[in-house]
Amino acid sequence: MAVGVLALVGTRKGLFVLKADDDRREWRVEGPLLDGWGVYHAIVDARDGTFYAAANHVVYGPTVQRSADDGKTWRRSKKIRLPEWSGLTLNAAWHIEPGLPQQRGTLYLGADPAVLFRSGDAGETWEPNHGILEHPTRDRWFPGAGGLCCHSIQLDPSDPQRIHVGITSAGAFRSDDGGRTWLPVNKNVLVDYLPTPYPEVGQCVHKLLLHPARPERLWQQNHCGVYRSDNCGDSWERLDQNGLPSDFGFTIMIDPKDPDTALVIPERSPEYHYIPNGQFAVYRTRDGGQTWAELSDGLPRPAWAAVLREASAFDADSAYFGTQSGSFFALADGDTWVEGARHLPPILSVEVTQWSR
Amino acid sequence: MVQVVVPSILAAQADGRQRFDVEATTVGEALLALPVADLLVNERGEWNRHLNVFVDDTDARELGGPACPLTGAREVLIIAMLSGG
Repeated sequence: MAVGVLALVGTRKGLFVLKADDDRREWRVEGPLLDGWGVYHAIVDARDGTFYAAANHVVYGPTVQRSADDGKTWRRSKKIRLPEWSGLTLNAAWHIEPGLPQQRGTLYLGADPAVLFRSGDAGETWEPNHGILEHPTRDRWFPGAGGLCCHSIQLDPSDPQRIHVGITSAGAFRSDDGGRTWLPVNKNVLVDYLPTPYPEVGQCVHKLLLHPARPERLWQQNHCGVYRSDNCGDSWERLDQNGLPSDFGFTIMIDPKDPDTALVIPERSPEYHYIPNGQFAVYRTRDGGQTWAELSDGLPRPAWAAVLREASAFDADSAYFGTQSGSFFALADGDTWVEGARHLPPILSVEVTQWSR
Repeated sequence: MVQVVVPSILAAQADGRQRFDVEATTVGEALLALPVADLLVNERGEWNRHLNVFVDDTDARELGGPACPLTGAREVLIIAMLSGG
């Protein structure tokens, strides 16, 4: 049986499924599924193959949708609610993270306004995490342009009690007790838009990733730089000044086989949000962020592209991303980007998995 | 009995059905009887901001919103207001 790559590409107008053989050169586009919905994130649950999508609509609101038949039919979660006493209403569903392999039926949902939910019944119902909802520093979280979105949820495969979340304009937080309490973990992470440059909270994490083979190592692309932590977030080292053209960007990718490798796509400053000078490039480090090398072979130039925080993915063999201008790229042969699709609606999210045919 | 008509994106969330015959005395009751009721109201039970509802061609908001009586009404039309490029 041949094995290839399946990409779930969430766009402003629905979900597309892209499939390629193992060489990642030719991609077949199917869709849109969930036609008309803004799919902020979609993922295949590796535990049972279910598709999950964080699907939002300007009129019909935020939903989580799931499909047990490869996207042919979808089922909505029951209405996702925040408690009335909180005074908060759910603005958007941002990111779905399946639980660890041994946590059957458990999923997490990150959402706006800065809230985390857990499902214990495979996405039928969702309960808010009170440690985040009632966090003592919450009154110091201020929404950025993207709102107060909880977009990064990282589970430690070596310790089921340890969870990391990243929230825009709030910071990174770690739980060591299964989500009951949350410690701000933002030491040495700059906030250049507040009077205090290194506060306890208020950092604008754009994407946070944990390395699965070395779970104490975290990477983040922040509003104010690229950072790495080697102690579960207790402290961070800034890395963008080691050769990146900009400290700003949204997305970050890692190599699950190599904890020292990461890829970022720098963008021009918080005011502009596109590739600097039209010189479209991904930058890769293979030494933990001490140096960065441009990886632009196969990318169009000049191009004023922009890549959103959920719009990249990686697997053991490659990296993938999509642009707001509707192009999907995959890294083939190690160092060349292949444009697998173009003219899609603005791409909001990318995830990949294997598929068989 | 009144017939409620929903737009295509909502119909896709209701197994493709676009028309529903419901027993209801008010517009609010009629909407809550739909299998997509959760997509029409926020957590407080309020109609979503960009949702327009017409009762026999009259904007339901002019007739009391959710409390608008359906006595003698034939059709409730739901229209999602989307504009822009």
